[in-house]
Amino acid sequence: MKLNDYTQNVGMRMITIQIVAFVLLTLLGIRLYYLQIVQGDYWSGRAENQRVRLIPIPAPRGAILDRNGKILVDSRPTYNVVLSNEPLKQIDNISDRVPQYAQGLNLEPDFVAERLTLIKKQNEFEAMVLKESATMQDIAWVESHGLEYPELRIELQPQRFYPHKTMLAHVLGYVGEISSKQLESDEYKSRGMRPGDIIGKGGLEQSYDQFLRGRPGYRKVLVDSRGRVQSEIEVVQPQSGQDLVSTIDLDLQTTAEQQLENSVTKRGVIIALDPNNGEILALASAPSYDPNVFTQGSKTPEGRRQIAAYWQDKNRPLFNRATQGTYHPGSTWKIPESMGALQQGVITVQNSNMACGGGIWIGSKFTRCMGSHGAPPLAYAITKSCDGYYYRLALKMKVEGLIQMVETFDFDKRTGIDIPNEKVSQTPKSWKPIIEKREGRWSDIKTVYASIGQDTVVVTPISLLRAVASIGVHGRMYVPHLMKEFRPIGAMGEEGSTNYFAARSGFGFDRPEPKMVPMTDEQYELMVKGMWGVVQGGGTGAGIRIPGFDIAGKTGTAQNSSLNSGGAKDHAWFVSFAPAFKPEIAVIGLIENVGFGGTHAAPAVKGVYETYIATHYGGVPPADASVETKLVAKR
Amino acid sequence: MVAIIEKRDLRDFDWLTTILAISIAGFGVWQIHNALPHESYWTKQIVGIGIALFAFFVIVFSDYRRIIDLAPFFYGFGLLLLALVLTPLGVEVNGQQAWVRLPLIGQFQPSEFAKIPTVLMLARYFGQKKGGALTLRETLVGVAILAGPVGLIMLEPDAGQAITYFPMLAAVLFLSGIKIRYVILAIVAAAMLIPAAWIVGVKTGKIKTYQQERINAILDPESVDPRGYGYHTVQSVITVGKGGIAGIQGDSQTSQSVLKFLPEPQTDFIFAVTAENTGFIGCISLLLAYALLLSRMIAGAREANERPATLVIMCFATAMVFQIFMNVGMALGVLPVIGVPLPLMSAGLSALLTTFCAIGFVVSIRMRRFVN
Repeated sequence: MKLNDYTQNVGMRMITIQIVAFVLLTLLGIRLYYLQIVQGDYWSGRAENQRVRLIPIPAPRGAILDRNGKILVDSRPTYNVVLSNEPLKQIDNISDRVPQYAQGLNLEPDFVAERLTLIKKQNEFEAMVLKESATMQDIAWVESHGLEYPELRIELQPQRFYPHKTMLAHVLGYVGEISSKQLESDEYKSRGMRPGDIIGKGGLEQSYDQFLRGRPGYRKVLVDSRGRVQSEIEVVQPQSGQDLVSTIDLDLQTTAEQQLENSVTKRGVIIALDPNNGEILALASAPSYDPNVFTQGSKTPEGRRQIAAYWQDKNRPLFNRATQGTYHPGSTWKIPESMGALQQGVITVQNSNMACGGGIWIGSKFTRCMGSHGAPPLAYAITKSCDGYYYRLALKMKVEGLIQMVETFDFDKRTGIDIPNEKVSQTPKSWKPIIEKREGRWSDIKTVYASIGQDTVVVTPISLLRAVASIGVHGRMYVPHLMKEFRPIGAMGEEGSTNYFAARSGFGFDRPEPKMVPMTDEQYELMVKGMWGVVQGGGTGAGIRIPGFDIAGKTGTAQNSSLNSGGAKDHAWFVSFAPAFKPEIAVIGLIENVGFGGTHAAPAVKGVYETYIATHYGGVPPADASVETKLVAKR
Repeated sequence: MVAIIEKRDLRDFDWLTTILAISIAGFGVWQIHNALPHESYWTKQIVGIGIALFAFFVIVFSDYRRIIDLAPFFYGFGLLLLALVLTPLGVEVNGQQAWVRLPLIGQFQPSEFAKIPTVLMLARYFGQKKGGALTLRETLVGVAILAGPVGLIMLEPDAGQAITYFPMLAAVLFLSGIKIRYVILAIVAAAMLIPAAWIVGVKTGKIKTYQQERINAILDPESVDPRGYGYHTVQSVITVGKGGIAGIQGDSQTSQSVLKFLPEPQTDFIFAVTAENTGFIGCISLLLAYALLLSRMIAGAREANERPATLVIMCFATAMVFQIFMNVGMALGVLPVIGVPLPLMSAGLSALLTTFCAIGFVVSIRMRRFVN
């Protein structure tokens, strides 16, 4: 056949083409084997990763209630603009987005840039909130730019809401996004926190975060290459956090806040607690702040300005004066001091007289008393707040005696109140080593100043109230606390499946046994008699007497500028419990820089008692709330 | 042109080749459906197969010798169609003006159709060669025949289509007595010049960034920007790999093409869709079907009793192997992304019609192998 021409060898050449064809097809087959059989699982995983996305469903945070079930904090639905990472990865020049988002959503460009840098560091399928509490305009803007910005979406988010605004702010705290510093701390790391998580910051929100926060659920969805949800694969519903019933009595709290608001300087503290168990009924620190600004406003320019203003305000609204403020207690200090002297045997119930002398000479310096009281017994000294008495009492106790008293009443420790960042009082116990190092010795004048709660003595209002209230209940010193109970929450989903969240049972405050301050019945009676006299016996707090409702108290007027400097006015104190011989409530009041305790702090405390009587006894004190007036202490 | 169907014709009709081609095309319809079940590509493809089969039978029952005799006429007509692409009648898709839209006929791709007259023209010229080694003059004529359509296609520009023309010339030259030393020289030169051209091209910027990215995606798929031009390659490899042994068998829930991760799933990446849906078993079956089809074509070429017929079949077979290798190699991430359709599988009437016409010539030649 002519095709088999030797020079052309067409037959062989055709076979060559056929062989080359088969070799090429075989190579493809080998590559297929490698991709599909050897690496099949790997590519299968890659494919799944890019089409499956988890969209978290935030869990509603537990509400916080007052002791009668009134809402103090709850969560309400708001819409967030959320930024997903995965579609962002295909954008080359991400910084172009900054002005676009900033303009469209009314955000600060710096903030947007920060968000974008942050999310770039996250895993591909993470999402992050770009704007909380989106307005209708924001939502419309996002919806209408869906094609342009597939990375943005709208998500429903329960928003923490503080209906009473500035009231109770220091007790409640607020919630906010976890900071990068907190993320690195062991406390939050061990709990598996991620950027963008909302945590409690300050107050009960922080202390009980792990119970208040729910367990978030998620939607597992199928997305296309542009990140648009195609279908839902699985939904795990979140479990809400547990509701916290606090010890706060909203009526008393309202009164306490009003009293501070009506005070001259509008700066101060009022705390009320139940001396029989340590439950705090009211805790007001003024000035205060609005937690809503932190939860809603931190993403808006106005909100950020307001927060900056809070930080810069010289009146320090963010500062919880009740647990973080340390003040000279002034004459209120005489109560634990007297108790200490009785315990130490420096004076006895039978013989508690001590000269007033109108003051005392220490070396060439005369420190005077406000009056001339002769040589009064203890009850009279308390009632009239005789400084001269205490100068000599303290010199007799010596500084060691004062330090022993400090230890007895835990002034060298935190009270253990269940809100964070409590400060410790400073007393001669902490100052003595410093003074001795600096001046060589602890001089008597320091003891004299310490005897009236000045100079080396500064206490937190909560620690002072705790100490004084314990005397009314025969020395039982409870840990003051704000948590009454957590309500239970039911299980979610089916047991054994991935969407199962076990039920969380309710529980009350795990109250430690009270610290016992040793005192005899006679000592107790003598102390309370003196304090009773302050209000009912014509003492320094006589102006706040409530007929039928005996108050045991002590006024204090604390110099707060360095001695003799003239400067700011004195802080006014009043610390008390009532009914005097059967206390149900203990109240402390401190008004900064107004003057005498009897004229400024005591009336504020009286307001709280009046509300207490009104809400608990319908305005008429019970018969056993008052004793005969023959108790009036005599010189 | 349709000859009277004689008994002898039916007896010698190559049923196996015909059924193989229709089966592959039918399998293709299923994969086009898997690729985009909610769009109409697969129904259009069924209509396309019907039209293609009509053309196929017209060619089968025509005397191929007469058609080869008329090759210059068809060749001229092919060039005319290619020229039309460059006129306002041309339609631009994805930056390439490769289509023509004519009233009544609709939109089609002349660069596909032009393969038929080009092959016929080459077969006609080289079929007259009597024997002896290939001369320079003959080679130059072959190059000139190819230069017409390829030149016009490069003006579109459609490098993918243009490149499919070269194997046809190579086959013709190889079967027309080109000296083996020139073949070896050409292979060695290519092995050296292609990398050299690459380096020079990158340095001088003649090779554009996106083209470089496509090549880099092959060399190192993990390090390319998965959102850049390497995206297609990476997504295609993911799609093929996840098919595993038996594939997802049409489960649109996880389909890479339904979820739009895989671009152009019904055309350029139809093999990746096949791999995803039918797995290794389906892909190997498809490759074996192609091997069988090619074997039948080459057997037909060997049995043909005259030189032009042999050349026609071998041209088509070589072009088909080349297209399969280019397309599947691209889907498997070993060759850069070039828009070459997979014969009989990819959605598109132009390619389908051209391939069925080519197979029509094979069947026609085989049926007439005993006729002189």
